[in-house]
Amino acid sequence: MSELLPVSYQLAWPVAIALAWVFGEFGYRLTGLPRIALYGLAGFLFGNLASGALPGEGADTFMLLANLGFGLILFELGYRINLRWLRSNPWIAVTSVAEAGLTFVAVYHVAAWFGTAPLPSLLLAALSMSASPAGILRVVNEQRSSGQVTERVLHLSALNCVLALLAFKAIVGVGVFQTSGRLLDALWSSAAVLGVSAALGAALGIAVPGLLRRLGTLSRDATLAFAFVVIVLVALTHGLKFSPLLATLTFGIVARHRRVALSQAQRNFGVMGDLLTVVLFFYIATTLDWARVHEGLVLALAIIGTRLAAKVVGTGLFARVSGVSWKKGVLTGLAMTPISAFVILLSEQTRRLGIDLVDTLAPLAAMAFLLEVIGPVVTQWALRWAREAPASGDVKEA
Amino acid sequence: MPLESFTRSDPLTLGVELELQLVSLSDFDLVAASPDMLDLLRRKPFPGNVTPEITESMIEINTGIHTGYDGLVAQLREIRDLLVRAGDMLNVGVCGGGTHPFQRWSERRIFSKPRFREVSTLYGYLAKQFTVFGQHVHVGVGSGDDALFLLHALNRYVPHFIALSASSPFFQGSDTLFNSARLNSVFAFPLSGRAPFLLRWEDFEHDYFARMERTGIVKSMKDFYWDIRPKPEYGTIELRVCDTPLTVERAAALACYLQALCAWLLERGEPMPREDDYLVYNYNRFQACRFGLDGTLVHPQSHDSLSIREDILTTLRRVEPYAVRFGALRALDDLYRAAHAGSDASFLRGEYASAGSTEGMVAAAIRRFRESCAE
Repeated sequence: MSELLPVSYQLAWPVAIALAWVFGEFGYRLTGLPRIALYGLAGFLFGNLASGALPGEGADTFMLLANLGFGLILFELGYRINLRWLRSNPWIAVTSVAEAGLTFVAVYHVAAWFGTAPLPSLLLAALSMSASPAGILRVVNEQRSSGQVTERVLHLSALNCVLALLAFKAIVGVGVFQTSGRLLDALWSSAAVLGVSAALGAALGIAVPGLLRRLGTLSRDATLAFAFVVIVLVALTHGLKFSPLLATLTFGIVARHRRVALSQAQRNFGVMGDLLTVVLFFYIATTLDWARVHEGLVLALAIIGTRLAAKVVGTGLFARVSGVSWKKGVLTGLAMTPISAFVILLSEQTRRLGIDLVDTLAPLAAMAFLLEVIGPVVTQWALRWAREAPASGDVKEA
Repeated sequence: MPLESFTRSDPLTLGVELELQLVSLSDFDLVAASPDMLDLLRRKPFPGNVTPEITESMIEINTGIHTGYDGLVAQLREIRDLLVRAGDMLNVGVCGGGTHPFQRWSERRIFSKPRFREVSTLYGYLAKQFTVFGQHVHVGVGSGDDALFLLHALNRYVPHFIALSASSPFFQGSDTLFNSARLNSVFAFPLSGRAPFLLRWEDFEHDYFARMERTGIVKSMKDFYWDIRPKPEYGTIELRVCDTPLTVERAAALACYLQALCAWLLERGEPMPREDDYLVYNYNRFQACRFGLDGTLVHPQSHDSLSIREDILTTLRRVEPYAVRFGALRALDDLYRAAHAGSDASFLRGEYASAGSTEGMVAAAIRRFRESCAE
């Protein structure tokens, strides 16, 4: 019996993840809710009911796997970003700055009004600027949606993640500087980390397509090669405590502008991508503790409401002048509701640097939990209202 | 509903319709952008007309009625500039080409409009497979009899238009070895092919259309997908075999070639068309689709084997005096050059070879479309 116990410990995570997948599939068929929302729900239950009783090693492995899953998604997002669009339609860039800036200011004030100290308020505001590319891209691919809301929400989420990351690291830098008093530390924790991460991604973004071109097997092997590079890039930046987020996103963007085929069949990186997505959304929800969720609920709701309003105003304001209807502008803002994967992975990384964000930022757990479940649903509905994804009845037919 | 009587229109006037591709500039796949494009284009007056097509990644434009090359090409350019500018706002590339080289038909979305829904229900996957892009040219004729005469007299020249416009070498991700793979998609429809051999409008109306209508298969001329069909409400015949070329200049040139050819044929200097001409029709059409300008055709009456390229060059010289009349020498020049240098299909194959991917090929088509665009 005592020999069986460690085995069952080792089995707990894989079995729980497999069950989450089953839950996701059944739930999707029965309710039409996005699968990732259901994986999250399963993860939250597992995390609170079981994983506390288990040893911690399993969680570390899955943290890396989750980062890999997120890395693949960010690469794919980067691969779909067309930077030239910002030049041919500058209003997209204006919209991005407006919605992110507005969110930052509004969330900061709400947090401060609730009595949060300035530094945590700033951090919350910075995190709220982002919209999680993982949640959005998965829903877009699952619904096969296409159109202006889809296109814009993908571009804006890539941009606001970078903005959020910059703001966040800058604030952490200042924070570390204030508490430790060492200027070098502060600088290292922000500018250098981001610079090196982006440079790594960019260098590989140039090298890999060049290599593939030399091999002459572009369309067949591109996906596999890109997947390997993402894995290496994530492992490297993860190990060196750089930013896997920025590195993989930059890799995608640079590789795209050196254009090598990533064909439709390989959207989501096929089966491997699907597998890691289950791990990603399951894992991030296991990190959320019910007690903390409960504790920060009120402020979290206030921030969620404020963030959504700020994003809707930001995207709605410039809708007409940027070439779409008011309605599509507002729906773009709504579709940006998801935030969880980005925020949780970022805060896990920050924890490895010695700052526990979830401890410091009371409403973060509640925000992440609520939006992990609600976010993808809102995105799904926004895409349907925009008539860019088929209404629920048509999905099977399509 | 009986067939409407044939409206007389000014002989040899021209109108052009182009079905264009809407491509995401993010991943160069087709994108369901026509609702957003139409929404944006509606904000300003549009020269000619812009309408949705069966799937949401297509858009159709048509010009007004023109008498010669200059007016036609000027309007096409104006339309092109507006489309390109709207596309820039929406991260959408607009381009010609008879097929998109790697789109998957199963991912296309039917535009929400009753007629398209009906077609989609009737034809199933054929409707989505029909995400191919053609140029239609209308030529005005004085009477229904003239329309039928021209329609059949043109049978021997159909391969010219296929070979000169061919711009669909790739389909569903692979090289088809055809120059115009698009027409294979059209051929799958039960009412495609050629019109029945009748030379008098009255016969066509009573002996053919009315009888077909009684079978319940067709309700209007729209249900026929013929290579050339009469369009009684406009008073035109409509040539439908061309792939949408990569440039609007080529589209105008093809239209003007047809115009000059019709002017010449209407003088009735050539032997009259016969039913037996159609014995070689499908074979010639295949040769043009498969080999383009390098194909050979069998002359329907002499049964001589002719190189399609040579036959085009000969015909271009023959109709030159008529082209002069419509100020269309520049159009014939463009086609001379195409006959020598190769069609859009060979340009696209070249781009595939140098870019190494079908995405690169689409990017080249987009650049080509906007080449002479007024910024």
